[in-house]
Amino acid sequence: MSEDTTAIGRILNRFEGTNRRDFLKRSVIMGATVPTFATLLAACGGDDDDDDDDDDDGGDESDSGDPTATTQRSVPTSAVGGQPTPTEEEMTDDATATEDGGGGEEEPTATEEDSGGGDEGQQGGTLILMGHHEIASLSPDDAGPTVHWVMVTQIHNALVELDPWYVLQPTLAESFEVSEDGMTYTFNLVQGAPFHDGEEFTSADVKYTFDFYRDPENAMLTASNFNGITDVEASDDYTVVISLEGPNAAFLSRAGQAFIVPEHHHSAIGEDAYKSDPMGTGPFSVREYRAAEFTEVEAFPDHFRGAPLLDAVRERIVPEPSVRTIELETGEADSSVWALVTEDNLRLRDSGDFVTYQTSSVACNHFPMNNERPYFADREVRRALMYALDRDLIVDELWEGLAVKATGNISPALDFYYEPDVTEYPYDPDLAIETLENAGWVAGSDGVREKDGVRLEWTLAVIAGDQARRPEAEFAQESWNAIGCNVSIEDTTAASSGMRDGTHDMAIYNWTYGGGSGEPDGSNTLRSDALNNFSKYKSEQMDELLDAGLRETDPDARKEIYSEVQKLVAEDVPFIYVKYWDWFNFYNPRVKGLPDSVLSGGTLYSMAYTMWKEEE
Amino acid sequence: MYRYVIQRLLQGIIVLFLVSIATFGILQAAPGNPVETMLGEGATQLTQEDYDRLLQKWGLDKPWYEQYFTWLGNFVTGDFGQSMVRAGVPVHEMVLEAAWPTIQLTSLSLAFAILVALPAGMIAAIRRYSIFDSGIMVWASAGIALPNFWVGLMLIILLALYLGWLPPSGGGDWKHYIMPVFVLAINETAVLARLMRGAMLEVLGQDYITTARAKGLREYVVIVRHAVRNALLPIVTVVGLRMAFLLSGTVVVESIFAWPGIGQLFITSVNRSDYQVVQAIVVLFTVLVIVANIVTDLTYAIIDPRIRLN
Repeated sequence: MSEDTTAIGRILNRFEGTNRRDFLKRSVIMGATVPTFATLLAACGGDDDDDDDDDDDGGDESDSGDPTATTQRSVPTSAVGGQPTPTEEEMTDDATATEDGGGGEEEPTATEEDSGGGDEGQQGGTLILMGHHEIASLSPDDAGPTVHWVMVTQIHNALVELDPWYVLQPTLAESFEVSEDGMTYTFNLVQGAPFHDGEEFTSADVKYTFDFYRDPENAMLTASNFNGITDVEASDDYTVVISLEGPNAAFLSRAGQAFIVPEHHHSAIGEDAYKSDPMGTGPFSVREYRAAEFTEVEAFPDHFRGAPLLDAVRERIVPEPSVRTIELETGEADSSVWALVTEDNLRLRDSGDFVTYQTSSVACNHFPMNNERPYFADREVRRALMYALDRDLIVDELWEGLAVKATGNISPALDFYYEPDVTEYPYDPDLAIETLENAGWVAGSDGVREKDGVRLEWTLAVIAGDQARRPEAEFAQESWNAIGCNVSIEDTTAASSGMRDGTHDMAIYNWTYGGGSGEPDGSNTLRSDALNNFSKYKSEQMDELLDAGLRETDPDARKEIYSEVQKLVAEDVPFIYVKYWDWFNFYNPRVKGLPDSVLSGGTLYSMAYTMWKEEE
Repeated sequence: MYRYVIQRLLQGIIVLFLVSIATFGILQAAPGNPVETMLGEGATQLTQEDYDRLLQKWGLDKPWYEQYFTWLGNFVTGDFGQSMVRAGVPVHEMVLEAAWPTIQLTSLSLAFAILVALPAGMIAAIRRYSIFDSGIMVWASAGIALPNFWVGLMLIILLALYLGWLPPSGGGDWKHYIMPVFVLAINETAVLARLMRGAMLEVLGQDYITTARAKGLREYVVIVRHAVRNALLPIVTVVGLRMAFLLSGTVVVESIFAWPGIGQLFITSVNRSDYQVVQAIVVLFTVLVIVANIVTDLTYAIIDPRIRLN
């Protein structure tokens, strides 16, 4: 790679000849983080496969006297986003907790982040996890649902992988170089990493995986992650060169994190069969797969980062959240990968009987509204709705203070990109009424405001059985009706599709609008033509900003761009943004090798290979 | 009788067709689709083009009636299709895999219900207005009134969490069977006990019972040979018809106890809009109910010679 004096080049030059630890640190600086996991936390509201009463776990910010020594509260203003919260200078070679979270790629001893503080890692035990729905597939292509991902990640590895601190860790790639124009990535792969059948992992597997996944013929679910790749070349056994059609700041976060499948196995049996017969370089290989009952993977002793300490990891399917809680309490299971109900979260946390991780969401709890409806097309109406809604009360009362009020599309947890200096909408019903009056919306004979024959009347869709968000929807309904709207609530089985296909006027979702695992790009929700532009928000200015953000790889320049994005969101109010909530993960204390704190509780499951279980 | 059976079977086919089209329509009307399910929580980068390609892959871009007739065509030839969520897995395999746990659960529950309810109902009738009678009837009313998900959760809390006697959920040894079998049987037991009591009381008031007693038969013989045999008639009918309720009960019970049976598969598939699987299970349940009805009618005719199936 030639010397480059541009901002991008300077940053990318640093990767040349780096070791793994440097790579790791610099991926923090790069903002090279990945949307995958935050979106795990994200989609709960809009997603079909949710227990919607589960996904709203709050976290107590006003921790009343540290109820348990084992509760780890992740500060929302931490290094989420892979930004230089720990600055380059601060990240000395002495490993900080954040750095070592990767599990020490070369010597994966769990002792480095052992919560027990100095216990020697012991061999043994089966880690028992619980998911809430069947594991329909073990293919990387189907790793979207969290319950699937938790097992897929035990079996497979990617070139780079996100760690529980939202930092990309070099995994199957030892290092990489980027060309001057930012359009060619050269990955240097690890050597001596066998697949579960003993065949060695090489560049051919990377090429095969990338080519298979991005081939439109195969209609893969994750094909979009590979968009913009023009060519994948295996120049030698341990080098892969990937060409892009243009510089893309999110490339590493998306395609870089694709789990690699073995060419010799996958091509022989095909994708459909692979779903139940997967093989990777991961620390565990499949022992028993019973989709609806449990999936068990066993330690792969030849794993390239060292043999895992656990004997096995089993994910059981326990659909009912209360029963998952009881399974934890009786010690039958060690951790639930899917959320419990809020009351149980608080109870388990306060019991002091569990290692508890309480982390902030980067997904936004919000009311998407169809901007193409004549009433929502008027920006003043959207603004008035913001003024009329007491979001502080929602956070403090309905969510028991276990959330942060949103100021825009990016969570304050992403402190590097978060822009607080935006148009604000404090609760002020009088101002809401004034805004509507000034915009020409006057009350009709029945009290409902109207303008040019259009009434402020719409339906708010709430997912049937969504006990968590229904009170919030009802509160919003009351608030808006009080300023002369006529909002009715409709129960729906729908998830994201109701807004996507325009059948719903308004809904209540949890979704990321940029910020997923630290990548601030919100192209898929904010761009005019985006699939998940639930509010059908059309803004050329926004589209230009989003495109610029992806072209730019200098973090500071990107920060400027995403700051503008947030200002524009606050200006235009395409949707009613309410809050960012908290997320809980519990572990039975007999599980050892757990870090002191994490930023993403979900991602911690990918580090099962550094954990072990103490015999009782 | 053959004519009767054939007639009933033909009626059954019409019912089956109507049920399948209704199910299909309802599923189509509900927003969401299997593609969205599988995209899961990581779908934020999807483009419209890729999304359309996925819909096309599964034929979800076609109008619903076209999808229905494709399904119907396959079904008539015995092909239930493939699950869209567990892509590539034939639906009949999934259903068969889930069938065994459900058969175990329902047959054990039914056996438990019959073994408990019939003697309880009989004793309640024979010892009418006694404390025993009141006790059984209070318990039976409770069994009908209490929702099984609530009873299930309470039992788990009591027996698994507080007492630690039984595992909270999942499969394994015999201990895993106790709570789900019991919970699924509660409602059935209550219904049957009440019915048995009513039937016995009616029979015990009949002239032929008085005659039997007048003949000097021992009370035991009167009850067992004359009363119970006749009282069982309505019970047989009801047990057959109750199969449908029992099957619907598995949806809740299997979810609570993490039982990997058809009930759980059904609810999972509905949640994930896995049309083919839902359709297959609905068809299967419909067939079971139709068959149970026919068998009940036939059994009735066999044990009661007064009934003619014409």
